[in-house]
Amino acid sequence: MPPAFILKLRERFASKADRNVVRIQRRQVLTALLWKSLPSLTSLLLVVGYLWMLVIPSPRLGQKTYIDENALQPGQVHTYWNWDDVHRADNYLAQLERLRDDNSTSEEIATFITGEFGKLGISASTQRYSFTTTAGAKNGTNSYAVFSSPRASGTEAMVISASWLSRTGDGDGTLNLRGVSTVLSLAAFLKGYSLWAKDLIFVVSDGYLDGMQAWITAYHGAIQSNLQAEPLTLPSGVIWTALNIDYPGHSFSHLGVFFEGLNGRLPNQDLINSFYVVAQHTGGVPLVVYDHLDPREFPGRQDELSIIPTWVPEPVKQNKEVNEYAARMKNVLRHVSYQARGQASGVHGLLHQFRIDAITLFAVPAVGPHGFHSIGRIVESTLRTTNNLLERLHASFFFYLLVGTTTFLKIGSFLPSVILISVSLMFGGLREWVNAGWIWIPEIQQTIGEKDSGEVPSRISGTWSRRSRPVLKALSIMLCTHALGAVLFYAITRPWFVRYQPATSTTLLGLVLALPLGCLSLSAPPATQAAPLPVLLKSLNLCFTSTVLSIISLLNFSLAATLAILLGLPLHLSSSAPRQSLRLTKYAFYQALGFGWLVLGREETRRAIVDWEVLGVWFVPFVCVVYAPLVLQAAIVCILPS
Amino acid sequence: MDFRVAFPTLVAGRFLLAFAPLPVSLKDDHLLASPLTSYSRLQEGIYLFQNGIDPYSGGSFRHSPLLLSLFSTVVPLTRYTTPLLWTASDAIAAWALVRIWRLRQNVRESQRDGLIAALYLFNPYLFLSSLAFSTSTLENTLQLLSLMFASRGHSSASLLALAFHVQLSLPAILILLPVLLLNLSGPASHLALPRPFPANLRNTLPLLGEFVAYSLVLSCAATLACGNFAWIEKTWGASLLLPDLTPNPGLWWYFFTEMFDHFRPFFLMVFSVHLLMYVVPICIKFQHDLLYASFLLVGIFATFKAYPTLSDPGLFLSMMALFPETFPYFRHPIVTALLHIHASLLLPLFHSLWLTQGTGNANFFYASTLVFGMANGAALLDAIWAGLRIAVGEKKGYEVVQE
Repeated sequence: MPPAFILKLRERFASKADRNVVRIQRRQVLTALLWKSLPSLTSLLLVVGYLWMLVIPSPRLGQKTYIDENALQPGQVHTYWNWDDVHRADNYLAQLERLRDDNSTSEEIATFITGEFGKLGISASTQRYSFTTTAGAKNGTNSYAVFSSPRASGTEAMVISASWLSRTGDGDGTLNLRGVSTVLSLAAFLKGYSLWAKDLIFVVSDGYLDGMQAWITAYHGAIQSNLQAEPLTLPSGVIWTALNIDYPGHSFSHLGVFFEGLNGRLPNQDLINSFYVVAQHTGGVPLVVYDHLDPREFPGRQDELSIIPTWVPEPVKQNKEVNEYAARMKNVLRHVSYQARGQASGVHGLLHQFRIDAITLFAVPAVGPHGFHSIGRIVESTLRTTNNLLERLHASFFFYLLVGTTTFLKIGSFLPSVILISVSLMFGGLREWVNAGWIWIPEIQQTIGEKDSGEVPSRISGTWSRRSRPVLKALSIMLCTHALGAVLFYAITRPWFVRYQPATSTTLLGLVLALPLGCLSLSAPPATQAAPLPVLLKSLNLCFTSTVLSIISLLNFSLAATLAILLGLPLHLSSSAPRQSLRLTKYAFYQALGFGWLVLGREETRRAIVDWEVLGVWFVPFVCVVYAPLVLQAAIVCILPS
Repeated sequence: MDFRVAFPTLVAGRFLLAFAPLPVSLKDDHLLASPLTSYSRLQEGIYLFQNGIDPYSGGSFRHSPLLLSLFSTVVPLTRYTTPLLWTASDAIAAWALVRIWRLRQNVRESQRDGLIAALYLFNPYLFLSSLAFSTSTLENTLQLLSLMFASRGHSSASLLALAFHVQLSLPAILILLPVLLLNLSGPASHLALPRPFPANLRNTLPLLGEFVAYSLVLSCAATLACGNFAWIEKTWGASLLLPDLTPNPGLWWYFFTEMFDHFRPFFLMVFSVHLLMYVVPICIKFQHDLLYASFLLVGIFATFKAYPTLSDPGLFLSMMALFPETFPYFRHPIVTALLHIHASLLLPLFHSLWLTQGTGNANFFYASTLVFGMANGAALLDAIWAGLRIAVGEKKGYEVVQE
């Protein structure tokens, strides 16, 4: 005889009724519960998702970085770079400054640099290139040199590069003369050692990004239709790692790292971590992420360096945790602004597309105390570290958020924020789908006289009845919006769009506003037998948006997060309304959200188009063909009569 | 639209597409061409064959000797013949599908003919494989021809088509039982009114004998073409022994990359027998409608076979159009559709993260093949549920339970 409480439990769960009846009842209760709590569940998921995004920079999240690849052994070598090498760099700098003062053409500069490489006994060559874009042509001349590995067959290579223009202000014209002289003097110095197991390729690329794009495309034999570049005459091996040196100022106080590549690709974290270890222990240089100086180190410049608004009360501003949060937030925002737009944060970013792990070392301009001596030693030691690699960098992370120099977030601690919002959208879409399939048919009770009294009967009796869901119409509307997006993309990448941008962008916006109104003719008077079009369209729109969000989140988290912020709540709220004026207002709001950038972000649009044409950044086609149509579908949901 | 206008228009559209400038890498895409169906490997085999080297002595060529002799003598594969041939094959398959539909409905012509042809010709899973010149396109055509002839009662033609299909791909032999029975019972829909199998089972024996005879003749022809028996292990054996672990959208490859060698034979046996397990139960349960049974088995093998490409589930999804009576009874169509959208976006994405960008690894792609497996499984469950549920009918206030 089992104990009494077990009997009681059995009594409770194994009732005498028919097993199947119990099962159906249980299922019905569960379904009813789920259905009733679905609205609150979707809102809860949305709120938790948004809150999670806010928590990402919190000092309580994140973990210390570490070196995962044992072969790297960063900072374990004695460096030989010394003051005579610094002197050589100074000499190169003087010659480069003379070239600058003479307003030399890029051809002359490239010839000079190639000549200097030649004097060192390293085979060097130049490469002329020209891009044709809608905004005009971009020409230039790269120079590069290959120092064959004294130790191995030269199947692998490392790149040390500097672009003629610094990344300051995204190539606003600041020259990277010290970066170039560092590369030249490093070539002279590194040549003297026989320990290199990989070829060393020195590249001085013209312009900011265009030069390196021409060089790396030619190196890999890739074909780019709008690029005419001379083929490279000096072959070398597979490039595994690359360091790009950006040293625009007179001296520097901190070294920063830029790592975002085209289309949101990041380099393996081991490369960044090794550089940080080397810079700290070999170079003794303080480090930052990007060029973000820590406001806590500069008490006088807090307002300028910190992102905490000035109106925040002083006790909060002094709070340690708030300061750490603000510092991390600043890094995260910078990261998102690069990654979401698919932009490379420096010349290194172009190499990622060919599976090369690359970073830019940025010497934050200051009056001192560091100069050629520090940067030379650090680059030497970092190269010795990557020289140790026996296979491509693979051990450490490719998906991460670097919130501080030695702190990062694993994908598991930031991805759920977007996924939760995507799940919320999916549940919203499925709810609309169920709504579309059922209709409440009230039982008509002929109660005379009650109508006049204006009293609403407290409980209307009726039945739920199924209705058909003609998805074909909704699907074709969705298809048309994406096709419209493709047409828009075609239009804005024509030369005439850029030339007459104010007029053309306004016209295009007008067209985009007017054309979807054609959908109004599609909306037949709602039959009781079929689901209304807005409900179906909203359902499919939410489901598709959720799919796009969750899939993009792995490819490019920043883009997915931006989309989640822009689309999450608005798409949930789209709905048809009885009043025409309200419908029009909503329509205008969604259209502004989807296509406002045509008029409001002209400068940004132009830049993004150039990025697409020269570097193949997918941001413009994505916005035109995926993002804007999704919002447009919500706008159509709003304008259709219910 | 009239079928006589719609069909040529659709086929013309496909011909235009076949000659459009497409990336060359398409035909080596792991999703569209498996080691057993890849066009590049076929070309390599033909080259070796024509230069007097036994193509089966290496490890790369795994196509049937019949394809080898066909393309090395009668129809050479050139830049122009290949797209023509593959598109024509798709057109024949679409026509066969429409014929099956008409035979099932027992009408000469119907409104849905054009739609059904379009669903086959413009199913992205199918036409992408066709643009990649994967020989799975030819296999699908043979599959549909065999079902079409069986539906018409032309048993010899049907068995010959199946015998050819088996030559190209061994798993096709599992569809033999429903095809034999379909030859005896006819294609009309009995899903809503199940009945015991109408014909005498003993009548299948002569048909089976016929099939064996065809297969023997074709195998002899293959052996003659090849000169030895090496082709058996290289082509048929590949489906059983899984020698090539090139990634594909199926569920086998990753499992066997991770396995210790001494477990391999056991799990190869388990995976193969697992496929065998479905045939008889499905044929018994759907003995009233063997076309439906064949359709379900096509779906099951597309999900679980050793070297699937996207075109295998594609055939299953396009065949769904033959059974509109089951649509209202699907269990969770929206979930299935969403799973398929997710899978078809994730597969190429994770493939490129792993093999092009280098930021992902094999687990990423494996995860996406699991999603794809789930999507196919969900579609199968939908179809099986609907096929059984339709017999119970609809009655207000009642629920169906499964005992």
